Amino acid sequence: MAEKKDVWQGTLALMVLKTLDTLGPLHGYGIARRIEQTSGDLLAVNYGTLYPALLKLEQEGYIRSEWGVSDNNRKAKYYKLTRAGRKQLEREARDWEKTTSILARFLAPGEETS
Amino acid sequence: MRGLRAWFWRLASLFGKERHEEELAQEMQAHLEMHIADNLRAGMSGQEARRQALLKLGGVEATKEIYRERRGLPVLETFLQDLRYATRTLRKNPGFTIIAVLTLALGIGANTAIFSMVNALLLHPYNFPDLDRLVLVWENRGIDEGVDARSIAPQDAADLVDGAPVFDALTTYRCGNFNLNAEGNVQPLLGCRVSANFFAVLGVNPAVGRVFSSAEEQPGNDQVAVVSYGFWQRRFGGDATLLGKAIQMNGKKYTVVGIMSRGFDYPVSVELWVPLALSPAEKVDRAKLSLVSLGRLKTGVSVAQARIAADSVALRLQQEYPATNANRRTEVLQLRKELYLYSLPLFLLLQAAAVLVLLLACANLANLLFARIFGRQKEIAVRTALGAGRWRLARLFVTETLLLSCIAGGVAIAASFWSVKILRTSIAPSWTMWVPGWDGIQVDRAVLVFTLLLVAAVGLLFGLASVLHSNHKHPYTTLKETGRSGMLGSTGRLRSALVVVQVMFALVLLVCAGLTAQGFLRLVDAYGGYQAANVLRTEIRLPEKSYADSSQLTSLYNRILRGSAALPGASAASVVTNSPASNVDNETTFFTIRGRSTVKATQAPSADLQISSPDYFSVLGIPLVAGRVYSSAHNADAARVAVISRSMAARYFPQSDELGQQIRLGASDSSEPWMTIVGVVEDVRQNWWNPISRPTIYEPFFQAPQRSMVFLMRVSSNPASYSSAVRDVVRGIDDQITLTGIGTLEREITDSIAIIRIMGVLMALFGCVALALSSVGVYGVLAESVARRIPEIGVRLALGAEPRDVMRLVFGQALKLTGIGLAIGVPVAFAMNRAMSSLIFGIVSINLLLLASFTVLLFGVALAAAYIPARRAMRVDPMVALRYE
Repeated sequence: MAEKKDVWQGTLALMVLKTLDTLGPLHGYGIARRIEQTSGDLLAVNYGTLYPALLKLEQEGYIRSEWGVSDNNRKAKYYKLTRAGRKQLEREARDWEKTTSILARFLAPGEETS
Repeated sequence: MRGLRAWFWRLASLFGKERHEEELAQEMQAHLEMHIADNLRAGMSGQEARRQALLKLGGVEATKEIYRERRGLPVLETFLQDLRYATRTLRKNPGFTIIAVLTLALGIGANTAIFSMVNALLLHPYNFPDLDRLVLVWENRGIDEGVDARSIAPQDAADLVDGAPVFDALTTYRCGNFNLNAEGNVQPLLGCRVSANFFAVLGVNPAVGRVFSSAEEQPGNDQVAVVSYGFWQRRFGGDATLLGKAIQMNGKKYTVVGIMSRGFDYPVSVELWVPLALSPAEKVDRAKLSLVSLGRLKTGVSVAQARIAADSVALRLQQEYPATNANRRTEVLQLRKELYLYSLPLFLLLQAAAVLVLLLACANLANLLFARIFGRQKEIAVRTALGAGRWRLARLFVTETLLLSCIAGGVAIAASFWSVKILRTSIAPSWTMWVPGWDGIQVDRAVLVFTLLLVAAVGLLFGLASVLHSNHKHPYTTLKETGRSGMLGSTGRLRSALVVVQVMFALVLLVCAGLTAQGFLRLVDAYGGYQAANVLRTEIRLPEKSYADSSQLTSLYNRILRGSAALPGASAASVVTNSPASNVDNETTFFTIRGRSTVKATQAPSADLQISSPDYFSVLGIPLVAGRVYSSAHNADAARVAVISRSMAARYFPQSDELGQQIRLGASDSSEPWMTIVGVVEDVRQNWWNPISRPTIYEPFFQAPQRSMVFLMRVSSNPASYSSAVRDVVRGIDDQITLTGIGTLEREITDSIAIIRIMGVLMALFGCVALALSSVGVYGVLAESVARRIPEIGVRLALGAEPRDVMRLVFGQALKLTGIGLAIGVPVAFAMNRAMSSLIFGIVSINLLLLASFTVLLFGVALAAAYIPARRAMRVDPMVALRYE
């Protein structure tokens, strides 16, 4: 089995927000699965960090939670993006794009020396 | 913002914890089930699906723990957890808790009570802005005039303001008695005549109305008054329309222009203030030091600078006016410091004693705690083995001791509201009115802060001490030990050291208590130069502008004396300028002995001057040493005579040739009449703070009549019952005359040394507490050590030791600990004694008998404390004891 990478601290929050933005209200398990699937199973979501991260986002007011019923009639806690969360997502996404593009320029071979 | 929001959320989640826990469990459960369902769908067997899901989820408990930490505030939560645990432990050992709390409460309470006095009397005696810039300024004539003689001549004060540019302003005042005429009778009042800038210099404003203008310093313009809050309430029932109304005093109408706010009582709690209107002649006077002067220093000027500047003016005046100002220097003293003279050493000693009591209490508590830690070694070891960090354990201990000291602090504060009130009211108001700040003795913010700091310090100290004490062992060693045979060598030594320290402190406190008590008794004895029993005393105040010449005075007092001496049961009546134990120094005077040349006018000898009627000596029973006392025949027409005190005779007539010699008041250039010395009487101790009686000259009243006198009358019994009779006699002669402070002389003496008595009582109390605490300490250590040594004792007994030997073992340990404590304590007590006798009047030197008896007492207490453990040791059954192993 190929070595899976753990999610980096800090990016998990962004992934959670994006997941909720794309899929709408979702429970913790669903969020974890979605992140893993989206990464093409390259990432493993450590649940010990997922739930505290969800709690932190909730405390900061970016997501809201309420109890609901899952597809197969199970009681589950659903997380939902708030307005503040949507804004935060846009901000973080912008930041992330900026960071990656800067890094990409650094890592692009030979551009500067030519 | 987000951070704050999250913080509130976490704080809020401290509540409703169970619901949160349940939700978390449900969420985890749901997660797990969904995962299993997915795995099943992917084709795993039921068992495999569950296993994979659990593997994936990781440690559920660990996840929950991380989640919990994120949810709440872990620091606060552990604290609350520790607090709950501490409460439970304390509740489980009520005996330990009660003793610990009471011990600590005693120590903290003693400090709170004493600090409330220190706070009021030394730290906040006056409530004036920039108190440290207020200074007393007075002139020193180079003779010992006593502390009450801090006064200045009016013209010198004026020169000082101009010549020494260190003062923002300088105000002068003098206080005295006024007679208030109201509804036909006369009421004596205490009031001060003050310069117009008096209130401005102090930095206070009236609550209502205004203070004086400089125009009102002119004689004739000065019939205005500012009254005190207390007087306004008592005399006028808080009449809101008092301003502008006139009151009749000393036969004149004074218009009330202002009312001071409550609590303003400078220089003492007087009833009113009127303008100081000096006549032109008085204003330029340099001869009489008639005013008290208070200056406000310019910002940034130090007291030392002010002293130099003021003294340079005095030196200039010496040159310019040698007739009046020769040898005269100017002194400057911070107003706050004036109070330190007597009170600082007293209160420092009390505070030191209170701190000692607290230390003793702490030593006891330490003993209790260490004993308990010994009992909890196993528990601590288990906790450590289960992974409790050093820091976590430390927090647990500190929480426990902090909780203890907080409870004790609470008890102490509650008790101090009551004890401080007792302290404040235990001295007659007629005496405490002279002590600035006395009414301010209360449990205020400063006192509470002080107590809280003390509580925190004690709690932390003990917590940390317990931590250090408990952590020096590897848990494995402790867990391995079975039974009670583990000897805690270092603990035993530490606890023994604590007992040694306790015994030492107890001895020092006892000696201090003994010394103060001894000093107090000596002070009571000091007034034993005469018979104070069966003497009635009162001050006679004449209405102003009456009895202007001496023949009127003579006849008035003659009538008063004859009238009261004729009362049934009265044996003699007399008047004197200053009665003993008045807490006021006698007037000091220069005098000249005829035929002896003095080099300079200012080098004349000085003595106390008392003017008395002939029967004064018989009323007080002052023994005659040589010659005779003057009689009623020595009146204005007869040749002038004087009686001197024994110390005066010894100092100035060492050849005992004083009888028949002549002296006169004043320096060699004086024009006073010569007086022939006709007798020598025994010394009288005037006031408790004068360790030796000063040379005194007695002059017959009928040759030198004075207006205000102290009346003293000897009766056969129950002097207090004569008050109304004497009042009637005086009223029958002139109903404008007022009598103040009527009461027995014994009462006066008791009141005058009340502060020393309180000190003695407090010190004795501290001494007893110290004794009790140290005996509990000795008992605790011995009981513990016997309990620990039961197996050893069992072996000894089994091997044939007599119960007597076992007993000797225990008593020996008690004696050893006490002996070491005393060996250290005795030199400390001696040092303490030296310090005290140099600081406090009336305390001379340690009484060896006293010291020996305290030593014996402490040994006795130690033996008594050893009795129960010793008996327990003797009754050890070898079989039972050995089974412990």
